[in-house]
Amino acid sequence: MNYRKDKSEPFWWGMFSAGGVVAAMLIPMHLLVNGLAKPLGLAGSGVGSYETMRELIAHPLAKIYFFVLIVMPLYHAAHRIRFTLHEFGIRRFIVPLPYLCYGGALLATALAAYIFFFLL
Amino acid sequence: MSQSQTEYQYKAYEPKLSPTWWLQSRRYFMFMMRELSSVFVAAFVLLLLYQLFLLSKGPEAYAAFQDSLLNPIYIVFYAIAFVFSVYHTITWLGVIGRIQVVRIGNFTLPPVVLTASTFVGFFAISAAIGYFFLR
Repeated sequence: MNYRKDKSEPFWWGMFSAGGVVAAMLIPMHLLVNGLAKPLGLAGSGVGSYETMRELIAHPLAKIYFFVLIVMPLYHAAHRIRFTLHEFGIRRFIVPLPYLCYGGALLATALAAYIFFFLL
Repeated sequence: MSQSQTEYQYKAYEPKLSPTWWLQSRRYFMFMMRELSSVFVAAFVLLLLYQLFLLSKGPEAYAAFQDSLLNPIYIVFYAIAFVFSVYHTITWLGVIGRIQVVRIGNFTLPPVVLTASTFVGFFAISAAIGYFFLR
């Protein structure tokens, strides 16, 4: 792929940038809430229980919130992984790296959309 | 590549990089750690997606996985991922002041003010998330 003539680049960079903002503003606290609050004794046993989460995720706004929270950082990571592999000297792979990285993010987006808007 | 070859009539220059070039300076190393932070964040959001998916599998399946998150392996993962994600936050908000120049009339807002205000936003949002989920 010719980098100079790649017209899709601004779109992927925009997704990287938006994902970076989501990752910077929201992810640290969600990591704390989801994985560290209970071991640190910051949360009772009821926090994140099936009943509360099921009730929460039933709300359309909560679905959209978690969808954005989960999907956007994946585009951020895909972009960084793409260029980091390039900087490691991995220039070619079985599948071109941009297809592999952004394709993975697109696949996860479809999966998340299916889980939030069809399963739950 | 083939397009650039026909355009310039010679091969594109491809620098040879050693796999350990990023260990040669502290700056390169911290650059690589910043890049690596995105992998931990991606791993976490996929783990979170799996937890929310388990809501559709019933209370037992969901509760069993929530209990397994108290396993030290998960706690160590969350702790490392937390450090990396905070490092991403610091670097990301740190550059906002540089790349997003705010001009009000003839006055240009100093980058440090803009970065400081994004940090205020970060702490406010974090407090709101903490209040919503932990209360």
